[in-house]
Amino acid sequence: MINIHNVTKTFGDNNVLRGITLHLEQGKVTSIIGPSGSGKSTLLRAIIGLERIDGGSIAIMGEHFVENGIYAHERACRRIQSRMGMVFQHFNLYPHMSVRNNLTLSPRVVKHMSREESDALCTGLLARVGLSDKIDAMPSSLSGGQKQRVAIARAMMMEPEILLFDEPTSALDPELTGEVLTVMRNLAASKMTMVIVTHEMSFARDISDRVIFMDGGVAAADGTPEDIFGNFGNPRLSAFLGSFATGT
Amino acid sequence: MLQLLYSTALVLGRGVGYTVVLFLVTIVISIPLGLCATFLSNSKNIILRSLTRGYVFVMRGTPLMLQLFFFYFGLPFLPFIGRYLVMDRFTAGCLAFALNYAAYFCEIFRGGLLSVDKGQYEAAKVLGLSRSQTMLRVILPQMVKVVLPATSNEAITLVKDTALVATIGITDLLHYAKSLVNSTQNVIPYVVAAIFYLVVTFGLTKLFNMLEKKFAF
Repeated sequence: MINIHNVTKTFGDNNVLRGITLHLEQGKVTSIIGPSGSGKSTLLRAIIGLERIDGGSIAIMGEHFVENGIYAHERACRRIQSRMGMVFQHFNLYPHMSVRNNLTLSPRVVKHMSREESDALCTGLLARVGLSDKIDAMPSSLSGGQKQRVAIARAMMMEPEILLFDEPTSALDPELTGEVLTVMRNLAASKMTMVIVTHEMSFARDISDRVIFMDGGVAAADGTPEDIFGNFGNPRLSAFLGSFATGT
Repeated sequence: MLQLLYSTALVLGRGVGYTVVLFLVTIVISIPLGLCATFLSNSKNIILRSLTRGYVFVMRGTPLMLQLFFFYFGLPFLPFIGRYLVMDRFTAGCLAFALNYAAYFCEIFRGGLLSVDKGQYEAAKVLGLSRSQTMLRVILPQMVKVVLPATSNEAITLVKDTALVATIGITDLLHYAKSLVNSTQNVIPYVVAAIFYLVVTFGLTKLFNMLEKKFAF
């Protein structure tokens, strides 16, 4: 589904990704954990093309996005990108638009969907994230948890085959993470392919089919949640998990 | 007294036309021009970028009155091409004002553009919007909100700056006020002119307040 081969990325003289290789499967939930600066967000952003990689290959569903450091043509990149959705740490809702317009803008202007059709899709997805009553609200009137649920619904509007989450609960007050995690659990139950960068260890353990521990720009440990959270053979991983007093 | 005010207003009225038209022409030209300059000054092309920044530097760094003199009195003296650059007073005035204000608007809009969070571009990109769709639907509306107060400020300054065209002999409001004061030995025309400027700036303030409410989110 997502093939990442020997990907490298440097910011200045900081080697963020040092030849990481991963194969992520369809219909599975993969969590990426690791200390800050380990390159997990960069990897996620590289998958959807927000970060340009320096070397290596990324293929999404058999289509090469980057091959040996060379990007496909812009149109091909956009087509491949359009098969994925992304949810950001800071939501990035359009602040000047109602929830409805946040959701329907892309379907209408990119997919040329009619207003009726996009409205129907919008109503359905808002119901799914439990925010039907907020359809005409402005983002500024929503709580953090509500904003993130709207952002998830907005990403779903484009009917992506893969959904990427970049620390979706890190900007939320602790009491608001639950509602977002519930929405994500429901998505996972519907067999959505999800890649989640997160610091919510218990959530990662609970929801994931697979957990990847990134450290120093490579996948330092990779396995089922039981493998990762039960295995204390890897000293870096043990130290990392040990730093989460309540998480493990 | 009322009679005096009325007759003064009547004379000044002849100059109001120039003042108002100069204001409108400047706004209508300099805002889009300033916006173009904003995009050019952020261009990846270093030549376009330097040219635009140079233009802004010159227009903001020299007196508007000098620019007025330059366009009206100066250009015709340019060797070879000067004779094609003879403009009537009003055209030269509009040109100097539009170019000068566009430079200020360019900087205001550039600030507005910088104020939009980069997450907005990223969200628009992953949601499939093209660059122009992103600009038009996502970035510009947020920019408008940010730049409105400063734009309002510029518009009000412009109303008062229009009085500078009297220096190249355009018979605007201030020109008539001045000659009326001289001929009648009475200060009233200045007061009437001041009231006129106040009425216009008051109207603009109200207009921009309305716009700010409309673009609030």
